[in-house]
Amino acid sequence: MDEDILTTLKILIIGESGVGKSSLLLRFTEDNFDPEQTLTIGVDFKTKKVTLDGNTVKLAIWDTAGQERFRTLTPSYYRDAQGAILVFDVSSYSTFAKLETWLSELDTYSTNNNIVKMIVGNKIDVENREVTREQAMAFARRHQTLYIEASAKTKHGVQNAFEELVHKIIQTPGLWESYNDNIHVGQKGHTSPSGCSTYCSLI
Amino acid sequence: MADILSETVEQEDLKKFEKIYHEQLSKNDVTIKAQFDYAWCLVRSKYPADIQKGIMLLEDLYTTNEPGQRDYIFYLAVGNARLKDYSKALGYARSFLTIEPGNQQVISLERTIKKKMEEEGLMGMAIVGGAVLAIGAIVGFGVALAKAK
Repeated sequence: MDEDILTTLKILIIGESGVGKSSLLLRFTEDNFDPEQTLTIGVDFKTKKVTLDGNTVKLAIWDTAGQERFRTLTPSYYRDAQGAILVFDVSSYSTFAKLETWLSELDTYSTNNNIVKMIVGNKIDVENREVTREQAMAFARRHQTLYIEASAKTKHGVQNAFEELVHKIIQTPGLWESYNDNIHVGQKGHTSPSGCSTYCSLI
Repeated sequence: MADILSETVEQEDLKKFEKIYHEQLSKNDVTIKAQFDYAWCLVRSKYPADIQKGIMLLEDLYTTNEPGQRDYIFYLAVGNARLKDYSKALGYARSFLTIEPGNQQVISLERTIKKKMEEEGLMGMAIVGGAVLAIGAIVGFGVALAKAK
């Protein structure tokens, strides 16, 4: 069954407690939303296959608890990850301000130094936004990460967030290994790894 | 393929949190955090003796620290499942679900445990044992939640 899979990618989801990490994952893997989503204990794990540009990859997604008391142990799950989704809540400025900490944590503990980072501004369905799209985009540009606005509740942007991340990982040489060297991976839109070429916005 | 029941702790992590725990133990002043961190590493070890020790530490936390009971029950289910004590593991998962019926994380843990049991042909045996254990666990956990509110 695995012969048609190009590779398995390890993806992390990190960010403050209550920003919607597990909700984004639930929407992505099961197209579902639980308004009473409970707090994640330690880490949760889900897999999903995605097909992009004719290539099927399996995603092993580790969803970490955002609560402070799990902070000492969750970094051990950062090892060997090829992609990280950093989530904040657009209606809570403090969760956006903490992204700086999450990024440095990622730099400290991730073993792949070219790990692909995607910032997701979640809960865009709510009325009282505290972080503008421009603010978040400027932050993402400065830190050379991808940025997407999403709502796990309405589905908006969720699929895009994961697909863009996977797309970027596959385009990054040396970040992953193919089970079959003969498979050709498209290099569409691949330019020099300067800051702006790694940045994108889908809304 | 890794999952919650087969991923294992890195030895360096286990050593690091073991050291912190033992330093505190020698001063007779073990914090809840140090005990939990160490237990969390132990239940993810590949050695059954470590897992057994982790379970003991979690059981101890469960009786002494009510606010964290939700976490302890979860990892008690994980630890027992990793020791292949599936009936006990299911008992913990079920008692958790009595309090939080919609918890996706625990529902999927329960599903994974049942799958392992089926693979190992143990399905029938566990139902009875698990139910008895669940009742005991529910009482404690329910009381704790009621107090917390």
